[in-house]
Amino acid sequence: GTVVDNSGMPIPGVNIAVKNTNKGTTTDFDGNYSIVLENGETLSFSYVGFRTKNIVFNGKNTSIEVSMVEDAEALSEVVVVGYGNQTVKSISGSVASVTEKDFNKGNIVTSESLIQGRVPGLSVTKGGGPGSGSEIRIRGGSSFNANNSPLIVLDGLPLDNSVADGTRSILSTINPNDIESFSVLKDASAAAIYGIRASNGVIIINTKKGRGELSVSLDVQQNITTIDNTVDVLSAGQFRTLIAENFPGRLGELGSANTNWQNEIYRDAKSSDINLSARGALFGKIPSRLSLNRSDQQGLRQTSKFDRTTASLSLNPRLFDDHLKVGLNANYSNEDNRFADGVEGNAITFDPTQPVRSPGSPYGGFFEFLDNDGSAASNVPRNPVSQLLQTRNISNADRLFGNLNLDYKFHFLPELRLVTNLGYDRTDSGGSLTRPGTSALGVNAEQGEFIGNESRYEQTRTNTSADSYFIYENDFNDFGLKLTAGYSYQKFESERFTTNEILDPNAQEPRTTVADDVVLIGYFGRANFSFQDKYFVNASIRRDGVSKFSPENRFEYFPSVSGAWILTEEDFLEDSNLINSLKVRAGWGQLGQQEVPSTSDYLRRYQTGLSNQQYNFGNTIVPFQPLYTNPDIRWEILTEINLGVDFELFNNRLSGSVDVFERTADDLLSNVPVPDGANFSNQGFQNIGEFVSKGIEVNLDYNVIRRDDLNWNVNYNFTAIDREITNLAFGQDIFVGGITGGTGNTIQVQREGAWPNSFFTYAQLYDQAGQPIEGAYADLNGDGTVDDRDRYVSGNGQADVLMGFQSNFTYKNFDFNFNLRASFGNDIYNNVNSSRAQLGNLNLVSPNNLPVQVLETGFARTPDVILSDFFVEDASFLRMDNITLGYTLRGFNRESTSLRFWMGLQNAFVITDYSGVDPELNISGIDNTIYPRGRTYLLGVNYNF
Amino acid sequence: CESDLDVEIRDPNITLGDQIFTSAEAYKQSLAGVYANLSLSSLTGPGGSNIGGLDAGTGQYMRGLFNLQNLSTDETIFTFENDPGIRGVQRNSASPENVLLRGVYSRAMFSVSLSNEFLRQSTDELLQSRGIGSLGDIQTYRAEVKVLKALSYYHLMDMFGKAPFYDETTEAGFTQGEELSRPELFDLVEGLLLNSLEDLPAGNSGEYGRIDQGVVHMILAKIYLNAEVYTGTPRYTEALSRSEAVINSGYQLVNDYQFNFLADNNSNGAQNEIIFPIANDGQATQNYGGTTIIIQGQVGAQEQNGEELGVNPGGFGGLFRLRPQFSEKFTLNPLFENDARNLIITEDRPISLVVTDPNTGYITTKYSNRTSTGGFGSDRTFTDADFPMFRLADAYLMYAEAHLRGGGGDLNTALNYVNSLRERAFGDTSGNIVSAQLDLNFLIDERARELYWESHRRQDLIRFGLYTGNQYVWMFKGGPSAGTSIDSFRAIYPIPSASLATNQNLTQNPGY
Repeated sequence: GTVVDNSGMPIPGVNIAVKNTNKGTTTDFDGNYSIVLENGETLSFSYVGFRTKNIVFNGKNTSIEVSMVEDAEALSEVVVVGYGNQTVKSISGSVASVTEKDFNKGNIVTSESLIQGRVPGLSVTKGGGPGSGSEIRIRGGSSFNANNSPLIVLDGLPLDNSVADGTRSILSTINPNDIESFSVLKDASAAAIYGIRASNGVIIINTKKGRGELSVSLDVQQNITTIDNTVDVLSAGQFRTLIAENFPGRLGELGSANTNWQNEIYRDAKSSDINLSARGALFGKIPSRLSLNRSDQQGLRQTSKFDRTTASLSLNPRLFDDHLKVGLNANYSNEDNRFADGVEGNAITFDPTQPVRSPGSPYGGFFEFLDNDGSAASNVPRNPVSQLLQTRNISNADRLFGNLNLDYKFHFLPELRLVTNLGYDRTDSGGSLTRPGTSALGVNAEQGEFIGNESRYEQTRTNTSADSYFIYENDFNDFGLKLTAGYSYQKFESERFTTNEILDPNAQEPRTTVADDVVLIGYFGRANFSFQDKYFVNASIRRDGVSKFSPENRFEYFPSVSGAWILTEEDFLEDSNLINSLKVRAGWGQLGQQEVPSTSDYLRRYQTGLSNQQYNFGNTIVPFQPLYTNPDIRWEILTEINLGVDFELFNNRLSGSVDVFERTADDLLSNVPVPDGANFSNQGFQNIGEFVSKGIEVNLDYNVIRRDDLNWNVNYNFTAIDREITNLAFGQDIFVGGITGGTGNTIQVQREGAWPNSFFTYAQLYDQAGQPIEGAYADLNGDGTVDDRDRYVSGNGQADVLMGFQSNFTYKNFDFNFNLRASFGNDIYNNVNSSRAQLGNLNLVSPNNLPVQVLETGFARTPDVILSDFFVEDASFLRMDNITLGYTLRGFNRESTSLRFWMGLQNAFVITDYSGVDPELNISGIDNTIYPRGRTYLLGVNYNF
Repeated sequence: CESDLDVEIRDPNITLGDQIFTSAEAYKQSLAGVYANLSLSSLTGPGGSNIGGLDAGTGQYMRGLFNLQNLSTDETIFTFENDPGIRGVQRNSASPENVLLRGVYSRAMFSVSLSNEFLRQSTDELLQSRGIGSLGDIQTYRAEVKVLKALSYYHLMDMFGKAPFYDETTEAGFTQGEELSRPELFDLVEGLLLNSLEDLPAGNSGEYGRIDQGVVHMILAKIYLNAEVYTGTPRYTEALSRSEAVINSGYQLVNDYQFNFLADNNSNGAQNEIIFPIANDGQATQNYGGTTIIIQGQVGAQEQNGEELGVNPGGFGGLFRLRPQFSEKFTLNPLFENDARNLIITEDRPISLVVTDPNTGYITTKYSNRTSTGGFGSDRTFTDADFPMFRLADAYLMYAEAHLRGGGGDLNTALNYVNSLRERAFGDTSGNIVSAQLDLNFLIDERARELYWESHRRQDLIRFGLYTGNQYVWMFKGGPSAGTSIDSFRAIYPIPSASLATNQNLTQNPGY
């Protein structure tokens, strides 16, 4: 027979046992199996992630076709939890595992897109550029001044959280097709084993490993992305009318064209992705996997592109009678980029009556505003099309990463293993920015001539790690015991060279900067106890040290303890049909945070003036000044309590989990004011402040229809979160959230009692017709004047509630899937309108175009309105992320061959009240134009044999 | 290997505190670091800042001083009120939250920190143990640093009336210094100045840009002239004698008034008139404060006259314009058409202002990135003109004022000093005045004509009782377009709320 999953795909490697016998086999790559049976014997089909299926042989069928159903709990019978695995049964923290078959489909360029919207409590906000990274948050993040991104561990190697120069994101160099599973460690009891950097949660990524069975897979997809929305600005006609009404003296400066500048800067972006992978036994002995990927991604902005080539090799031999398991993963990746400037601002403001090209223009034939001498004027927008076409900002990055894992089971004591994992990750990147002499953006030389731009940079970064740990695992009657203890070492190094601007004689000289090494050392231990397979206690402790803090402050202990009780193992629930499985969990733990930009604030240091930062005593002298110092700087500590329940109900039709948590981040590393005159700045990083997040997460999985040829499964997840800053240094507000429209303006505040990064605005007053009155704000503190003290907290960019919904439907050879994602309670400060939609902006050095909102408000002056809550909008949204429809042909060539054709639509629609281009921004919630995401049409073929 | 956690500093521009003072030259570099705080916003780049809470360029020392001393008066208006803090300062309604105030307060106190660090690192004992040996020059450096500390405390006394006390005995960290009242600040500044005088070279001698006795006399003259405002006790006799000491220190007026404000004012003769320049160099001291913002900001949005001022044609798009009441000090009387100090552009401009319209109100070309011979400064963005913090001309006018206020001296001498400025301005004696004309009303206006945009105006108006109240009202004073009276408590700025919050010893000024 053949074993297939609920979408009809064959499942290789299914364990098939005949109950009460020694007989057994596994399915081959095509899901086929054969076995000799006696009448009445029971076949048991089991496979990780699927519900075990038992079939009694009636002595007649010569072929038993089996369709296995995914099992929400069994989904991850073994979960990677960091320094080893754990059975799903024994897990007592909040851990979500997503494996390959549940990954999102579509145009997946960076790995995190595979699980976007799939895990409650995990938010992934993608950037718009080709291959661009995402803002990833687990439970909203735990800090507001240090880092909020989770630790990402790739095959045991913790990655550097910062993006290498010349690359798009920390995950852009990784081929998503190589990924087998994600484990998301959400709460402190689960993540504490990574104590040192786990306060924002941990995402463990495991890549596909070698296997013995030969299989080859080829995936090809083509797609095209089109612009789906732009900022509403005045048309050329409306613009002429408005100029005539308000500034008739300037009508003569207008041109005769009708240009939609936003249409001119974008294009239909074509992309393709080809992936070839092969698995099999090398030399007949070594289970191996090799994969090759080529991805060519155009960006919506003209000229922008991302091309990636990757090769991955995984060797997994077992030596010494399986006592030594060796895992070698070697990956090479090359990223070839061309970056496009964010010209949206200029496209919005550029005079729509002017043409893109102007014959005879000295600026490469492009129209530019000229001054009286006929050279490009200053303090006017530059032609955004020429900015794209004349700027060549390219980069190339080589990344070599991988790990060697040695897992040795002692010959004399097989319960004891020693695991050693060596990781290495090196990126060599370089890039350049050039513009021709005909660009009006270039260096303005002595005689007011433009001479172009030229600069280059190179960067090398390495990340090396070594972990070694013992695992002892044994059962003593009803008691199960697993002990883990080990040591971890990691070092980050980075060096950068830049020429600075070569054509400008007054620019800084070429310069090499070597970042201070960051070294992290940890000792960790973990104990897992079980009793009768229904009571579980897990505890861990990690002692961590980091080079960023002084010897007195650099080590800290991060403990955790958690427990679980499987109620359905008790007599009173054992035979319930209503409740098939029920587990309650509770956990507590502490985590650390050390991500401050400066690596050595604890030291007394002096800064020497760079080449353009000197002083004159008649002759130039190189000055130096002491730097801000804080000898007491130390860890930020996060303490979290998590309570959870996992369940399967109604004959296993409905499964899910609910988690509630409270996390308190204390000793927050914040860049806050210090007493003037006491130190060598008026602000710096200190351990001050406290911040509390509370939330609830729900995940539900429901098998609506379960039949052999018809399956429909839906999944819904829900996250509600509440965050509050509970303590700040001296109760002092911290102003953040820089905006355009004024030099140094900020729109956000960190304030006690408020969410982090809350909008901090004046309260707009309205007339009786509901129209905002320009410049009129409420005197909220009632002191008779309206000044800075009347600003108030008027919202924030983070969602109160996030939801995800997936539907997977198969009928015979057809499959149909879609994903919906919703966000509620997130606000956006519309900086596009607040800084531009005022009539006065028509009358700048060049007449500038405005967003159409000005026609409703009639606002005249930017400074009178820019800090108004009028521009804070509700940006709740519902987005159809992805729809795919596929058809699979099987056995047309060889029996095992399958060929699937599919088509899809990504970012199909968004429902929102937000007036700007896209309600989904990064967590800051300040919309000052974005790289639009566009809508993508996909076609793909998948061929397996 | 836990010793791996002791990582080395890899940045070649960063050195550990106990490894940097290896030579006498290092002390000079450290001295330059204290001076550099008056000119640079950081040591890392034009966009960097070693204080936070506001835009880097806006937080530069001289730009802060310019904003608080000039922008708050009849002299000038800034076009972009959407820049945070600008409206509060130029319409005399600044609250404790105002970021421009925080910038000035923090920047001045940073100077105090730097000075104290220098004094801490240059004790006899440390010099011996570091093998530097003799005090020699370093004794002079220490005196200069004390004067720089006094200068910053003087600025804080003048603008904020209160400041926390720190000296070299307090280690850098998070100590909350005791509050000094205005009279206590006065005593501190006076003491530091008098104490350092004998260790300094005579006026107008030594290296360019360094503090000498002339600078000390000048600051003393300033605090004595304003002593009644600061302490309630007039000190005009000392004001006059210190002005005299400046005048007798070998300085001399440069022939052409505008040479004081040009790209080569460190070498065109103005170096003998300027008592204390804040060095600016288009290549060596790049930042967005100092004369860069002034010159770029002078450029008219419609005139596009940047080339004439030695920068790119559009400059920064018309930041600064003159308020009508100041312009009229040159335009009402046709006499001043021949005044070399009248550098105002009036053509195609209404004298009256719309704040956001850079084409209203007159503009000036007083500062320039061109040289006395018509050449250009070394860069078109960052200017070469040094900022004249104190000039001999001011000492002349202070002598005259101190005399008129009962400080002694001689009326004819005073008249001669005033007329020497007039003769330079008019090229002959046609603008000279007679003794009967020399009174305080004349002097406050003459100070405006001679010293505008040199960061003295607010202090002068307060001393003459014209800043608050309604005796003198200028456009946008107190907020409305026509101007209005402002409350007397606004003669002192509020202590910035961040400074108050982080130092529990500080108290807010009355009225705020």
